[in-house]
Amino acid sequence: MTELALLVQGLLDGSIYALIAVGLTLVYGLLRILHVAHAALFTLGGYVGVVVTNETGSFILALVAAMIVAGIAGMIIYRLVYQPILHLPPYVALIASIGLFIAMQEGFRFYDEQGVSYVNPPVQGTLELAGQTLQLAKIVTFFVAIILIGGLGLLAAKTRTGVAWRATVTMPAMAESFGINIIQVRYINFFIGSALAAVAGVMVSLTTNLVEPTSGDVWSYKALAIIVLGGLGSMRGTLIACFALGVLEAFATTTCVPLGNIQICLGEIMNRDAIAFAFLVIVLMIRPQGLFVRA
Amino acid sequence: MLRLDGMSCGYGDFRAVTDLSLEVREGSIFALIGANGAGKSSTILAIAGHVALQGGGITFENQEISTLPARRRVHLGIAIAPEGRQLFPDLTVRENLIVGGMIHDRKAEAENIERVLGLFPRLGERLTQLAGSLSGGEQQMLAIGRALMAQPKFLMIDEVSLGLMPAMVDVCYNAIAALRQEGITVLLVEQSTQRALDIADDVCVLESGRTVWQGTAAEARDDPSLTAAYLGLSD
Ligand SMILES: Nc1ncnc2c1ncn2[C@@H]1O[C@H](COP(=O)(O)OP(=O)(O)OP(=O)(O)O)[C@@H](O)[C@H]1O
Ligand SMILES: [Mg+2]
Repeated sequence: MTELALLVQGLLDGSIYALIAVGLTLVYGLLRILHVAHAALFTLGGYVGVVVTNETGSFILALVAAMIVAGIAGMIIYRLVYQPILHLPPYVALIASIGLFIAMQEGFRFYDEQGVSYVNPPVQGTLELAGQTLQLAKIVTFFVAIILIGGLGLLAAKTRTGVAWRATVTMPAMAESFGINIIQVRYINFFIGSALAAVAGVMVSLTTNLVEPTSGDVWSYKALAIIVLGGLGSMRGTLIACFALGVLEAFATTTCVPLGNIQICLGEIMNRDAIAFAFLVIVLMIRPQGLFVRA
Repeated sequence: MLRLDGMSCGYGDFRAVTDLSLEVREGSIFALIGANGAGKSSTILAIAGHVALQGGGITFENQEISTLPARRRVHLGIAIAPEGRQLFPDLTVRENLIVGGMIHDRKAEAENIERVLGLFPRLGERLTQLAGSLSGGEQQMLAIGRALMAQPKFLMIDEVSLGLMPAMVDVCYNAIAALRQEGITVLLVEQSTQRALDIADDVCVLESGRTVWQGTAAEARDDPSLTAAYLGLSD
């Protein structure tokens, strides 16, 4: 297995992190809230993706439906849960968010405790790259992520709406003084972030062929750690952290180092999530402000 | 053009300004003067809609605006260059101007940028620079320029000269004089008073949130006791 193949594998996994973490960073940047319940929208997206695909036979339709449903759910969460408590200290919103996350899990359990699977799983198939087998679904995910996140980046950089949005993130009161409706900006923010999480949820369901109430859990913890690593609120830092973590996991789970005459293989001692968290804990101990915090 | 009737405002239970009445006449320059903590910025922010009223009213062109959300007031022609400049630091100079003109269309935006650059040519050399990296003087020019992008009839400028070197103070006051020529009404806030008294038509002196003197700038200039008592002699 070559380094190139591992790198590709890592970048593919990193794109899933990116789809999830972008929404978290958007919310943190705008409201300074750690939106734990974000991962429940990932799960919601997965459910909608599987159910709509099974009902209609169209995966594209299911993907779009998942984005819309999760996007609207995100806006409702903002309106009903966060907006009323924004003036309170940030831990209040954090606790509310954790509570909401658990409540949504229970909601999924209520809908279908066993989870849902595709009857005819779409986008299956594999590709060979330098001896490494890559799943087609992951490659598609990568390009979908690049297109969506790249498009979002262009929107933010080049359009008036993007300028208004970035202005609102840094100085909401001033943005308001020039006529920007900051509540509307927040709704758009939640819609976009939640829709991206839903895309991640749907794409992951292609490789696992199972969406269950707890599907979002590990992603939730990881994504939170990633945005801290990325310097909280810094979009560029977050994206770098996502792909760095993906690549690190790919290498750490497969590479063995000789130590005397025994081989130490990290991947045999810990699973990939454990490796990821060990890495995150170590980095945050050394640099609690994150890797890419702005000067 | 703008009238405060017994306006009180503050933060939570704290009262920053008590029972302030004043009238800014159309086409004039009004100077609001006072020491640290007198309530000048609070007054401006209340007019802009960012500080809560605790009593009284604010009338702009015969319309009561105190219940209007901040983002609607700019549509009436009210713009602010606030204390501390409050630029968008991660946005370029051009993008800061774009935000200032957000309520107008793209065509107006291009014209307004030309107009601002005519007033402050130095900004023209720095359009792609991040606002956070500008010098203090350039930041003040951008703060005023950003407010002008909204094509205001009524412009409020807080701390016009604070922290600026004399040449830069001249640039800003010349700009204010030019704006009056264009028919824009200006409410300016200053601690250092001489320049403000020279340019203003009317003056209000605040102390601890209350009016201690009000009248025309000519009267203020001729009143040595006033200058000594409230305005300091540093100028
Ligand atoms: N955000 C705030 N929360 C609570 N109190 C505030 C706030 N901003 C100002 N104050 C208080 O309101 C009073 C008036 O402050 P304000 O900023 O209006 O004064 P100022 O005349 O602009 O002073 P300066 O010349 O120092 O800018 C002060 O006592 C100040 O401590
Ligand atoms: Mg002030």
